[in-house]
Amino acid sequence: MAETTLKKNERQPWPSETHREGENQTPVNLLLVEDDDSLAEEIVEDLRGRGYVVKRASTGPEGLEMARTGEHDLLVMDRMLPGLDGLSVLETLREQGMTMPVLVLSALSAVDDRISGLKAGGDDYLTKPFVMEELAARLEALLRRPIYGRTSMLKLGPLEMDLLERRVRREGREIDLLPREFRLLEYMMRRPNTVLTRTMLLEDVWNYRFVPRTNLVDVHIGKLRRKVDKEGDEPLIQSIRGAGFCLRVPE
Amino acid sequence: MSRSDLFRTAAFRLTLGLVGIIVLGMLLELVLLYGQISTYEKLRTDDLLRRSASVLMQEAPGDLEVRLKERSTSELRVFLNAAALFDKNRHPIAGDMKAWPAGLKFGPTMQKLSFVLPDHSVTVMRFLVVEVPGMQPGRTRLLVLGRSRHMINELWQVAQRSALFAMVPVVLFALLAGMVLSRRALGRITKMHSSIEQIMKGQMRERLPVGRGHDELDRLAGSVNRMLDRLEQLMGEMRDVGNDIAHDLRTPLARVQARLDRVNAVAQSLDPSIEDKERFERAMGLCQRDLEQCFSIITALLRIGEIETGQRRAGFQQMDVVPLIMDMADLYEPIAEMQGLSLFVVPHEGPVSLWGDADLLNEVLANLLDNALKFTEAGGRITLRAGCNELQEPWFEVRDTGVGIAVEERSAVMGRFYRADKSRHIPGSGLGLSLVAAIVCLHEARLVIEENNEEDVVSGTVFRLIFPSVTEGDRLA
Repeated sequence: MAETTLKKNERQPWPSETHREGENQTPVNLLLVEDDDSLAEEIVEDLRGRGYVVKRASTGPEGLEMARTGEHDLLVMDRMLPGLDGLSVLETLREQGMTMPVLVLSALSAVDDRISGLKAGGDDYLTKPFVMEELAARLEALLRRPIYGRTSMLKLGPLEMDLLERRVRREGREIDLLPREFRLLEYMMRRPNTVLTRTMLLEDVWNYRFVPRTNLVDVHIGKLRRKVDKEGDEPLIQSIRGAGFCLRVPE
Repeated sequence: MSRSDLFRTAAFRLTLGLVGIIVLGMLLELVLLYGQISTYEKLRTDDLLRRSASVLMQEAPGDLEVRLKERSTSELRVFLNAAALFDKNRHPIAGDMKAWPAGLKFGPTMQKLSFVLPDHSVTVMRFLVVEVPGMQPGRTRLLVLGRSRHMINELWQVAQRSALFAMVPVVLFALLAGMVLSRRALGRITKMHSSIEQIMKGQMRERLPVGRGHDELDRLAGSVNRMLDRLEQLMGEMRDVGNDIAHDLRTPLARVQARLDRVNAVAQSLDPSIEDKERFERAMGLCQRDLEQCFSIITALLRIGEIETGQRRAGFQQMDVVPLIMDMADLYEPIAEMQGLSLFVVPHEGPVSLWGDADLLNEVLANLLDNALKFTEAGGRITLRAGCNELQEPWFEVRDTGVGIAVEERSAVMGRFYRADKSRHIPGSGLGLSLVAAIVCLHEARLVIEENNEEDVVSGTVFRLIFPSVTEGDRLA
């Protein structure tokens, strides 16, 4: 049943449209610190295609120097770098008050590794091998900081979420959600119009770090969608083929 | 070790061979002894006969007859068993022979004659015939002296008896020594067997015990250990090669993925009226799916390599496995429902504590659940359960009512890329259970695969992980 729902939504606009929205604004300056030439080339090419302005450093000291002197909105940093390792570069930058979001890349998926990456000042952590869509989605998510207010109510288009009463309404219609569905929708409502990959959802909503069966997250989304988007409603939860899902709310 | 084992060792067989050689040697010695005795006795007999003859020849002819008649009372009886005087025509004159012995010739040499005694036994005697002067001058007579071989026979019997007496204790002692040696050898072999069993179970670090004796068994154990070192190294290299290949594959695959994405994006913007657009999109979708499977295989391979070589224990802590199971059931419940399966957790009172890494155990649970979902038909049931056994060992299990795993396939399913015959048509990397095996190994736990024998169940499998029991003392030590 989820299959048919997915098919219907696959026809939705390609996620790069969200970037196109951003093209009107100032372009995002991104610094990539990666020593593997072919991988760096691939990343640079892909991100430029998505509208980023990308500079690249290939060693630790070079990366540190460029990050310190240049104006960058985003930093993508490999952990293993010649000269000075990525985490030391990151720690130095944070000590010097640099606050731009940093995504750490690593070949190791060990959890302790991930934790040390985040402790050193990384905002997100991605393990190789990754698909470009995953990287793109995570960068986008980093640029759009999630909505964390003191408010106990999240309001987004037709959706209203009461965090204290644990109730959700769509244009006055009560939506009855299981706790796990509530958690999932809350996460998505805090990151509207952002592509969320399956791994991001599994890591952040469920706190799991394994490679899931491809349709595990899809089934959860499918169930949530059937409750949120009723017949005749404008679909809010959308599948982005090859990338993940998106809660699209008209501005 | 059984009794028959004791008699089947090389040491015992060697002892049996040695016993045979000893017995043969003793027999040979006996034969040599007999030769020595008979030669000695022959020389003694000849000497005695000649000396007696020379003494008797000195006697006057008349006295000689008297001496011979009285022989049984004189010292001659000691040396001679037969003595008689014959005339030229070989008619008896005096002595204890009533007739000329058949076959006896006149001559200076010693002669050997055998007789059949009245009791049919054969006796051998040596004879000497000498010419002595007769009563009338010019007439000579023949003096016949004989000595039997009874002395040799007696000595022979004594030698035989003593040899037999010596042989029995020697053989018994040798057999006993053989059994003792055999038992010792078996003890060492048993130790080696248990080491080999461990290695076969996958404990590649285990080695055969090497004694300080430097005997052939120790040297063999040393050689086997060196061989195992080499094997372990080769296995490591092979694993590294596998990891390197997986590592190297992902960059080109990531590029393919990126390009495919771009082609796809172009396709999306094409006019929908273009012929075959739908078929093109279908093909692209299939490519994406296969590529995704490639990535999942590579990721799983690298993950296994990481767990196997890394031996990472940093994330280990004492933890309760019950919430882990509850959460995982919550995650998998919708997908089970979609497949028409029921998934539930059997409640457990209190915590089930074990020493482990929560993330890794989640990975195990997810893989086992994936597996159960894959092989269970709609209408089936998947049960999660945790507990402690009578040895205070914590365990948890995933129980399904699926196709089941044949007994002979149960150990093979843990191997990399193994797919049971029944599951050929079901997609998957074939690595899920190897990943489980690697994580189980890291936790020093054991994985038991059983048939689901619940009453209302036709077939099905139970995967149960049993962990070492957690005691404060163990962890502090």
